[in-house]
Amino acid sequence: MSLRDPRGDGVFSATFKYWSVAPAVLVLAALTVLPALALLRMSVSTITFSEGHEHWALTPARNFAALFTDPGLAATVVNTLLFVIVAVAIEMVVGLALALLVGGLARGKGLMRTLLIVPILVPPVAIGNMFKLMYNYDFGLFNQILGALGLPAVSWLGSTSLALWSIVLVDVWHWVPFVFLILFAAVEALPIDVMEAAHVDGANRWQMLRRIKLPLLMPAIVVALVFRAILAFKAFDEVYLLTGGGPGTSSELVSLHLYRVFFEQNQLGYGALLSVLTIVVVLSMLAAGRRVVVGAGAA
Amino acid sequence: MRFIRKLAMTVASLLLVAAPGARSADKPFAEVGKQAPLTMLVPATPWLPAFSKLVEQYEAQTGNVVKLDVNPFAGVLDKARNDVHSGGGTYGALFLDTQWTIEMYEGGFVAPFTDIDPAFVMPKEVLTYGDSGYWNAQKRWRTSNGGKLMGFTVLGNVQVWYYRTDALKAAGLAPPKTWDDVLASCAKIAKPPATYGAVLRAERGNGIRYDWMQWMVERNGSVVKDPENGDFTVTLNSPANKASLDQFIEVGKKCGPPNPGSIGQGDVIQLVATGKALQAQIVLAAWSNFEDPKKSAVVGKLDVVPLPIPTGGVPGGVIGNWNYTIAKGASSGQKKSALAFAQWFLTYDAQYAYAKDGGIPNRTDVLASDLARDPAYRWMHAYAETMKSATQELGYVEGPQVEQILGLRLNQAVIGELSSAKALNVAAKEIHDVFAKNGRKTGIGPMLPE
Repeated sequence: MSLRDPRGDGVFSATFKYWSVAPAVLVLAALTVLPALALLRMSVSTITFSEGHEHWALTPARNFAALFTDPGLAATVVNTLLFVIVAVAIEMVVGLALALLVGGLARGKGLMRTLLIVPILVPPVAIGNMFKLMYNYDFGLFNQILGALGLPAVSWLGSTSLALWSIVLVDVWHWVPFVFLILFAAVEALPIDVMEAAHVDGANRWQMLRRIKLPLLMPAIVVALVFRAILAFKAFDEVYLLTGGGPGTSSELVSLHLYRVFFEQNQLGYGALLSVLTIVVVLSMLAAGRRVVVGAGAA
Repeated sequence: MRFIRKLAMTVASLLLVAAPGARSADKPFAEVGKQAPLTMLVPATPWLPAFSKLVEQYEAQTGNVVKLDVNPFAGVLDKARNDVHSGGGTYGALFLDTQWTIEMYEGGFVAPFTDIDPAFVMPKEVLTYGDSGYWNAQKRWRTSNGGKLMGFTVLGNVQVWYYRTDALKAAGLAPPKTWDDVLASCAKIAKPPATYGAVLRAERGNGIRYDWMQWMVERNGSVVKDPENGDFTVTLNSPANKASLDQFIEVGKKCGPPNPGSIGQGDVIQLVATGKALQAQIVLAAWSNFEDPKKSAVVGKLDVVPLPIPTGGVPGGVIGNWNYTIAKGASSGQKKSALAFAQWFLTYDAQYAYAKDGGIPNRTDVLASDLARDPAYRWMHAYAETMKSATQELGYVEGPQVEQILGLRLNQAVIGELSSAKALNVAAKEIHDVFAKNGRKTGIGPMLPE
């Protein structure tokens, strides 16, 4: 009788695999499915408090009406899309360039890798405060540099045309190391014999990059892209600390808007609806990314 | 001779003991008895060091134990909600910003003081700060008229006008009484970008809402008609309010930095403390920042007066206070302990000590004491003057939503995205919609010409 199937009749192994994962499934259900169901219920309800207790009323129409009449939502969606597209594009290009550069170093790779990941080790609150000081119109480092060059001071966080891009810059500084780490690992895993064969066949650097390295790096690129896009969509710390969504609505993102609705306005039902929609968008991005990865793998 | 010397010393000792404020440090300010350990949920604010010192003094005098759970502003509300929504028990005392009190009162999450001790009486010298510590559940309004005592003000903030005494003196100017005086003074004393004549807080959100409302009340403006009596007709988009907003924008632009729409409280304090801003509209609680040589380059150079008013306007102020409340879900021991601390804190001696350590006392007799004649507390007169006409605003459950709307639309007017008329019209419509959805009796005034 084998250890894998002590009864030798196949029944033990068939049931074993189900009840062996049952504890993990139960924990997963308790920690994710139950809260998700509670959130769904909240999203179609209005919750009020009186006499020390909460009172629920089923009001899906009211919550959806709030969604379609929310005056600030359209601007935040546009801002968020712009933020995600521009910030992630820059991070991917810079991260990939750094990964290829550092990957091509003969010496000092470890040191460069350590130095380049420092920004993601800094807590987001520290980053927010640091850049808020650097962007300060009167005392900030950036305007002091401009002043030293004889240029006028810039209202980095006070201008409606610059506020969002100032936050993008902070996000790029913070998250390029993340992209770099993922792509650097992939660059290090590129098969040397393929590179050498291409070199022997006369491929120049541009052809090596475009025809050999990039296709081989594509799964890692897609993983980094999907991760960054999801995280960028949920960005909160930087915008909350730097501008609070202002001036006006020029830098308000979906996550900050959701925070305001849920925590500041205490509109729990509508806030839950916004949360559900955010989750739907993020899951869609995940599904799309997975399809691209699978497709790239098949190719 | 020896007898006369002894007599003189005895009389001098008696006078010293009897002098106002010079009480014995060993005698407790109030006899509160042995109490259970008390945990208080408190905000990290400029006045917290003063309050913490007072708590230490309470512990030393009474032998009771108090633990302060200190949190940033928004964190206090989150923790308070988590505690009360889950039945309470963590905190005996909750410090609530004035905007949060209605949510907590209406939700039934804080205990009336007389439910804990029917004999509790608020000293008559304690300011009521627009009755923010009272709740009339039938009217759904904070009023002592038929309302129960739910809390008291532990720190009562109003805005005052800070000015550099040296700068105004050098220009031969008196402290401004009107906003026109402010505009005139800016032209004389400011040398931008090295120095700004005056700075206002106009960042989106609570910043501009609170600051502009001071200007609104000075022209007898309002957001809603008579919320205490159930009339939620929106009066925001009135010619008086437009005039207030226009002048607010004018002073901010002509006197301040070129980025008025992004200036927050920290920025204003920073500009004043570094000497860049020569005048500013700031809450009184920030005073200690400017008198601390570790934080300020202008120690001893500032003074305060009540906020200037528009020509033909009336003095006014909007109260922004922290309220000491007792959590309903706390244990019986913590509730009694919280009430005992309150009784101690509200005594003359405790409030006097609080003021000496940098807090703002809530008793009229302390505000009129010898401290008011001490140059270190020269802010007391302006504070007492402002409190005579200061009021509470947004005292209804929709207050946070109204604040969000005002905080955005006013900011958009400052940065030029919307004209002042359009900003007020749009905000009025949005506020009206909020009240209508909540079933309030509401309406809206005629639209301002855009």
